[in-house]
Amino acid sequence: MTIFRRLLLRLGTSLIVLIGVSMLIFSIARVIPGDPARIALGPRATIEQVEQMREALHLNEPLVVQYGLFMRDLAKGDLGISLYSKRPVMTDLAEYLPATLELVLLAGLMMVVFGLPLGALSARYRGRWPDHLIRVFSLLTVSAPAFVWAVALVLVFAYFLPLFPITGRIADTLDIPRLTGFMLIDTLAAGRLDGFVSALHHLILPAFALALSGIGQASRLTRGNMIVTYEQPSIEMAQAYGFSEARIARRYAFKPSLIPSLTIIGLDFAALLGNAFLVEIIFAWPGLSRYGVGVILQKDLNAIVGTVLIISATFLIANIIVDFLVSVINPRIRLSEGGK
Amino acid sequence: MSAPLTLEIQDLRLSFKSWSGTTEVLHGIDLSVASGERVALVGESGSGKSVTSRIVLGTMQDVRSARVSGRINFDGRDLSSMTVAERRALRGRDISMIFQDPTSALNPVFRIGALFHEVLQRRDRRITKAEARRRAVKLLQEVSIEDADRVLDSYSFQLSGGMNQRVMIAMALINEPRLLLADEPGTALDVTVQAQSLELMRNMVDRLGTSVLFISHNLGVVREFADRIYVIYRGNIVERGPTASIFDSPKHPYTKALLSAIPRLTGGGVPEIEEHSPAFSDPLVTHNMTHDNMTHGSGR
Repeated sequence: MTIFRRLLLRLGTSLIVLIGVSMLIFSIARVIPGDPARIALGPRATIEQVEQMREALHLNEPLVVQYGLFMRDLAKGDLGISLYSKRPVMTDLAEYLPATLELVLLAGLMMVVFGLPLGALSARYRGRWPDHLIRVFSLLTVSAPAFVWAVALVLVFAYFLPLFPITGRIADTLDIPRLTGFMLIDTLAAGRLDGFVSALHHLILPAFALALSGIGQASRLTRGNMIVTYEQPSIEMAQAYGFSEARIARRYAFKPSLIPSLTIIGLDFAALLGNAFLVEIIFAWPGLSRYGVGVILQKDLNAIVGTVLIISATFLIANIIVDFLVSVINPRIRLSEGGK
Repeated sequence: MSAPLTLEIQDLRLSFKSWSGTTEVLHGIDLSVASGERVALVGESGSGKSVTSRIVLGTMQDVRSARVSGRINFDGRDLSSMTVAERRALRGRDISMIFQDPTSALNPVFRIGALFHEVLQRRDRRITKAEARRRAVKLLQEVSIEDADRVLDSYSFQLSGGMNQRVMIAMALINEPRLLLADEPGTALDVTVQAQSLELMRNMVDRLGTSVLFISHNLGVVREFADRIYVIYRGNIVERGPTASIFDSPKHPYTKALLSAIPRLTGGGVPEIEEHSPAFSDPLVTHNMTHDNMTHGSGR
């Protein structure tokens, strides 16, 4: 009951944020210099043709009226036509978003699955060789951006050691009918296990490149939090009761340390959407981040607004999920918010 | 002292190795606790009293920079020759501990009931949740917690400090240990609540016949509780003896200083109370208002 109400509240505030974002990006896209109609039609188009297109795009109306028209269309699920691909923006988004989400979700999973245990291990063996090893690794991964790792990983694991494919989402020889756009799901839905394996094979390297600095970040955070937790009297009490070190690490130190780590990982996860751009370029990944940069350079108004809105919405949803997870782990939050 | 010794420490030394060399912090301590006896180890912070309790608990030996030497006998078994696992096996079953700040010592992400269950599993691995709860309720009632069910369903941060202190006393004694280490119990609480919880702790160790090593910086608190007192100063035991004789005729200048450091109700802004007023029967006041204490006060 209370959880349901809180969820509704969060969704409501998120909607307000989205509307704010839409206003902002809508105005910015139109204020920056350059005539979108001229860019779309090219230098050879006549002034009449450009004027005609400006009229069709309502570009001659006041900004407020333009925004009103945009919102009216959005309510009908219509984001307009992309000037760049000449297709409805919704169609473009539906095509590119799943590829990026697949990449980002796996990268986020890797951050949690590798980052948290590495940090916990590091804290538990503080000052000994596993700790030193993990700390060097974490610092290294944090200090270089994702695209550096993408290039390095391609060089080592696709070029020198041809263990992974360099580009694409699935082997060219396979033809999987498009259902959701998530390759992993579509292959399973088609009952093609070989396709699933191939898709996963293609996904691992770019996702890992994208996740690497997040893994380091998560590991460093978890280590720090766990070391602070280890100083707490509650850990000494657990030791005084003779619980094994493994049990203390797992239950008494790791769980409280998860709370701040998860919050940051949630933010990092959302940042992956932006970082994905260069990784998508390097791996020729047909994703939304690449599309987003392309449409910005083209000053493709409708597509810019659509892409930014989708990325913001993903960010907000990721945050809601993380907050929810944190409140499940942290009884203080759960009880204080439930009680009011 | 003819009763068998629960704890016997001889020539206990502790030093810490660091980059700049070795620092000795305990310089050969002798201490014993007889079966069922309540012994206090009193000293200022940094005197070595807490590390002594950690050595008895067996956790200090696991600190990599620490070097422990000397004989520590627990129930006739030599603690210093035990492995890490053997020492751990004693903890929570034969030796348990009460901490200074109960609210931070109880893990905030688990309910009290879950913590009790885990502690009981130290004695009986297969104990069921229901059985653990039943025993926890029984013991909580013994420390005057009426609504034990509500407490077991709560997290430590939902309970008052005094309540948590009682929970911790019950938790420390639920496995009926031979020795209870109490490290400044209730120092984080206000004096009234501290006195109440010490009273409850005393009743319980009396019933169970538990030996207690009580660590404190406050002689006043100890007076009500301990049979014997050791005074520790800079890693040495400077005075030892039955509680009454320490209070009546302290020998060492440090003990005298400690005695005069006990807050008194006389003088200052608090009104004078007649020496033979009925208020003296109040245990909270008596140990602060004793004759020798007053003479010390006036002697300064």
